Amino acid sequence: MENAIETIALVKRYPTNAPPRRNVSDIRGGFGGRGVGPTSFSGIIRVLKGTKGPFIEALRGIDLKIKEGEVFGLLGPNGAGKTTLIKILCTLVIHDEGEAYIYGLDVKKEPSKVLRNLQAVLPESRGFSWRLTGRQNLEFYSLLYGLRDREAKERIDYLLDFTGLKDRAYDGYQRYSTGMQRKLLLCRALLQDSHILLFDEPSAGLDPNSAAEFRSMLRRLSRDEKKTIFLSTHNLYEAQDICDRIAIIDRGIITACDTPDNIRNMTVDEKVFNVMFLDMVFNDDMTKMVNQLSEIIGVRGAMPEVDSDGVFHGLTIHADKDLDISTILDIIIKRGLKIRIINSKEPTLEDAFMIITNRQQWHPSENTNQTR
Amino acid sequence: MEIPIGLRQIIAFTKRDFYSWTTYRIMVYSQIVNIFVGVFSWGVTAEYVNKPVPEMYSGTSYISFLIVGVAVGNLILPLVQGVQTQLNPWTLETVLMTNISTPVFVIGNVMWAYIFSIISLIPYLIIGTFFFGAKLNINIPSTVLAFIISAAILVGLAMISTGLRIVTKSTDPITWIINILQSIFAGIAFPVAFLDKIFFPGISTISWFLPQTWVYHLCRLAMLTDASLLNPSVIIQFFEGSIFAIVFLPIGYKTFQWGVKRSKREGTLGWY
Repeated sequence: MENAIETIALVKRYPTNAPPRRNVSDIRGGFGGRGVGPTSFSGIIRVLKGTKGPFIEALRGIDLKIKEGEVFGLLGPNGAGKTTLIKILCTLVIHDEGEAYIYGLDVKKEPSKVLRNLQAVLPESRGFSWRLTGRQNLEFYSLLYGLRDREAKERIDYLLDFTGLKDRAYDGYQRYSTGMQRKLLLCRALLQDSHILLFDEPSAGLDPNSAAEFRSMLRRLSRDEKKTIFLSTHNLYEAQDICDRIAIIDRGIITACDTPDNIRNMTVDEKVFNVMFLDMVFNDDMTKMVNQLSEIIGVRGAMPEVDSDGVFHGLTIHADKDLDISTILDIIIKRGLKIRIINSKEPTLEDAFMIITNRQQWHPSENTNQTR
Repeated sequence: MEIPIGLRQIIAFTKRDFYSWTTYRIMVYSQIVNIFVGVFSWGVTAEYVNKPVPEMYSGTSYISFLIVGVAVGNLILPLVQGVQTQLNPWTLETVLMTNISTPVFVIGNVMWAYIFSIISLIPYLIIGTFFFGAKLNINIPSTVLAFIISAAILVGLAMISTGLRIVTKSTDPITWIINILQSIFAGIAFPVAFLDKIFFPGISTISWFLPQTWVYHLCRLAMLTDASLLNPSVIIQFFEGSIFAIVFLPIGYKTFQWGVKRSKREGTLGWY
């Protein structure tokens, strides 16, 4: 199947006033090299073209493949390069090296064709006339997108209904709440019914209810209209909730790219879980069981849990992350013990994000997900 | 017959700006009042210094000369400033993502301002004629052609100005220089030939290198002297004026494209 979006070794540098340092490109004979004096002819040409350094690298070789119909999330801290990547894909920024394709169309060489297949919702790029109604604004853009009158009317009616703005369509845009403004941005992006939609921080600035409503719309777009959705977000819950796959970008480099579950799991090489018993366990029994469990290949350790009265009531087990825990449970059950609860201590996507972006180490004791 | 999409898009811009304009009611009233105050202000000035204008437009009174000049001047300003006033990061990024062509973007953004200027030209001509006694000898085909050539020159200038402004994010130096020179050399309030008498012979040559001079000259020629397009000397002057359009339109187009491309490369399209 053809990739909806593909980037190959994508590099973007921005001019900077900062003195050259490790992260600043200053390649001799390349972009804005030291060998080019400001008053030389080639120096003047580079000033005119905007290719004179020094530069800071916003993207440092991005390789991504996003399949048609996929919901793909781009996670990263501030300044990681998320917005730059989205703007390159929607032809608002020109990359310096590498390639980017939308359905095989080169975004640098064929921007017009690219824009027929893709639209973006950029929160800071409103572009609406504050004095016109929501509907008038959409009518204006429908003409810019080349829709015929009847087609535009039908499409606008459908989109206002889809986003729940129908009742407020004749209100002035300046009376819209932030959530409504975001919905109108979505309406505009959907006017020409592009196959690919890019979202830059879609729920930023929205209250929890509006954010949930917006996410629900994204899910409907993916499920019912088979749109390919590419979104950048800080919101890890949002990413885990709606994305089929995610990539973590940090300082211009993709550091991980997989399903949310795999990303969570890739940061640790063991699983940790507590087994709590319904009844108390005697010392001898516990010792024998711990020894027996420790002999299982893949079990790295088993520690008895003792309550405040000094009674054994559970076990904490460290095991290889691929181990089938039914072997462990078999041993426990065969010893006549009843299991009250199993607590799985797995890393969340936030833990994974922090580890991958080198912000923090994961400690199993800090998190607990319960499985009954 | 189906209206071409480019024209429909220009109409969309015009409608948007018109609707938006009508919502600012106090501004609408003040602009209408400004038109009438402007006519009377210039009319009284012209009446005070009234004398024939022997240079270039023989048989024309100063009031006729000035009223047409000021009216045409009102056409020029919005065309050069029209796109600039619309340029903000929210509009530019979003509109460029719709894939519209550069000429449609530029013409669309100035069209309402231009239409309003043409509408405001009418009271200038009516009040000038009936109240101050200005005598117009309008040749309609020449006037239409003069307006078309003027619009082409000014759209070229608007594109240059916009392209530079996208990069500089403030005043563009080239349009600024042209506008500075215009105030002295374009002949808004006096025939440019008069410069030779005031300063030294030959200085008026500078005027003919300014696009605005040709806009004023062709419009005055058509509206004050009944210049027929069958007259070879008139045709030559219109041809000379149209050279500016032929030169400025592609330069403007390229400058706009350059400005957008450079801004995209620097990642500053959304900056203002």
